[in-house]
Amino acid sequence: MVMSATYRQSSRATPDLLTLDPQNALLARGPRFRLQAEFIRDQALAISGLLVPRLGGPSVRPYQPAGLWKEVSHYGSTPATAQTFAQDHGEKLYRRSLYTYWKRTAPPPGMMVFDAPTREVCTVQRENTNTPLQALVLLNDPQFVEASRAFAARLLRTVPETERITYAFEAVTGREPDSEDQQRLEARLAEEIRVFKADPARARAFLSVGASSSPLLEDLATHAAWTVVASLLFNLSETITRN
Amino acid sequence: MNPLLAYERTITRRTFLGQSARGIGRMGLAALLFPGLVKRPRGPHFAPKARRIIYLFQSGGPSHVDLFDYKPRQLDLHATELPNSVRGDQRVTGMTVNQASFPVVAPNWPMRRCGKHGTWISDLLPHTQTIADDICIVKSMVTEAINHDPAITFINTGSQQIGHASLGAWLSYGLGSENENLPSYVVLLSQGSGKNPGQPIFARLWGSGYLPSRHQGVLLRPGVNPVLYLKDPPGITRGQRRRMLDDLAAMNQKKAEDVGSPETLARISAYEMAYRMQTAVPELTDFSDEPEEVFDLYGPQSRRAGSYAANCLLARRMIERGVRFVQLFHRGWDQHIALQKQLPAQCLDVDQASAALVKDLKRRGLLDETLVVWGGEFGRTIYSQGTLGHPSSGRDHHGRCFSLWMAGGGIRPGFEYGLTDDYSYNVLENPVHIRDLNATLLHQLGIDHNRLTVKFRGLDHKLTGVEEAHVVHDLLL
Repeated sequence: MVMSATYRQSSRATPDLLTLDPQNALLARGPRFRLQAEFIRDQALAISGLLVPRLGGPSVRPYQPAGLWKEVSHYGSTPATAQTFAQDHGEKLYRRSLYTYWKRTAPPPGMMVFDAPTREVCTVQRENTNTPLQALVLLNDPQFVEASRAFAARLLRTVPETERITYAFEAVTGREPDSEDQQRLEARLAEEIRVFKADPARARAFLSVGASSSPLLEDLATHAAWTVVASLLFNLSETITRN
Repeated sequence: MNPLLAYERTITRRTFLGQSARGIGRMGLAALLFPGLVKRPRGPHFAPKARRIIYLFQSGGPSHVDLFDYKPRQLDLHATELPNSVRGDQRVTGMTVNQASFPVVAPNWPMRRCGKHGTWISDLLPHTQTIADDICIVKSMVTEAINHDPAITFINTGSQQIGHASLGAWLSYGLGSENENLPSYVVLLSQGSGKNPGQPIFARLWGSGYLPSRHQGVLLRPGVNPVLYLKDPPGITRGQRRRMLDDLAAMNQKKAEDVGSPETLARISAYEMAYRMQTAVPELTDFSDEPEEVFDLYGPQSRRAGSYAANCLLARRMIERGVRFVQLFHRGWDQHIALQKQLPAQCLDVDQASAALVKDLKRRGLLDETLVVWGGEFGRTIYSQGTLGHPSSGRDHHGRCFSLWMAGGGIRPGFEYGLTDDYSYNVLENPVHIRDLNATLLHQLGIDHNRLTVKFRGLDHKLTGVEEAHVVHDLLL
């Protein structure tokens, strides 16, 4: 089925197609939906180079805001009942979301916001909402800020300067940027470099998010500016949409 | 949304962008967080008596025996064995089922007749004593559940089994939001001083079950991130964030037009609302505009973010802004052991602020349309868990009767309802099952509990479940 022309067609909704098949009941175009919670996080980890793709093993506890377990839990000796969330370190922060420890009384908030089921009862179909809380996760959750920093470092180290924007855009969206995208991102980058050069302490603070130890590049302002650009790309609607 | 209409709107996007300088300012937060809430509420079915609820949930099972359901004769019954005829075939928890003896423990603290009608209220609740004429105490609450998880799930979602929608989610589903900039259902948590940690609580207690997820309660937390991930990363200024979001909006807009994606347009609006929330939410939770006398009223703990008292004050601030349903969960009411030590501490946590909330709403003219509920998932046994009189003794769970109070929102003030036996053990008159309570709460908000239903797994589900439930008209003005 996934090899069929119907499944593989574009999700582009032209006025003609919308007139002929407004609800896509006849499958006049491909499906378009937001990626599931796990895919969104895994995608950012993979693009940034942080992802640890190893298979199997026990569950892991990546970043989550302090106190969430304490607010609802009783005493307990296992993570399922424990009051204290003990965040993991090292590679356990970057495993696929499949391995994220699931405490049903207080599930991982970054995934719940993207409609991951609570796992208390069976779910036939996940919901697919579109909310400001999702924007806050992609913009401010340390997991995504760190992925932006790591992606920026990767670009600065491995991609020639003139190709970086094209490479970054394509890595995140799967298509080449058009000239308008290109110019907009170049302008954003230049301005962020200027802003961070004027205040290196803020560049350093921004680059301190996350536990991974990618050594700070010599030019902090440039690294911080690229981190903003990477974050912008991770936040694009098409980045988290299957088109 | 009809994608055709949405697409036409993107083509003439001036209709969308033309509304303000940035084009995104006018859609409300509720409309985005909870699209559909504002537009198509299912209710009300009839004119409501109350517009909002503040539910002061006392998690763990407060002792009705010690606080409200007093019988002077209990002093004579102290230390006598609870008659088998009273206990009957009761299902008892594993904590006391093997006790050889069930000695009666009379209330350990003085009780006092309060208000015009001489309502018994414990001296452990001196501030609650002062609002006796404003509250309605139901002494004949009944639940079948005997342990916390099923009991608290039952009273909050209408079923002991998980997967059902919570009261707040039903209200959001049925009535929508009154404020487009705040969620219609907000949850606030606090820890008890008497027993910490208290029994666990669960996200499902404010979950949406089979209702759309936008109706679930939004948890507000103390500290710099009242909503999770609200704060920008360190080193990023508001101006920087603004300019980045401008670029993001422009790129998303172009893509939306290119491929005809209304979801992407909605996402642009969601990002703008997130940006606005970053200032709107801290304004809500910042108490610096409250005068000194307000903190005096709610008590010293009201200055400590995350305390029960601070949550009561925050509840009032949200009610003022049109939040439909604010639910506090205060933990720690599970006095199996050391009741003598734990119960006063629990009461101290909540007494002044609960009473202050009622007084504050009343003087602001908000109490008439705001229904305040104070109660837990069950009560506690009159018999001693553990050796009678031992400092480690306490009371076990008791669902056959327990007490709860309500105020405002069209509920009869200065009124007591229901009668239990001398042992505060079995209901003699006017039982109020928790189903009846939930039917009554919905009724006050203009909802017929039998008509607010949703199809799921082949059933028309409703908050009150499949067993018969009745609005308790005797409680109503």
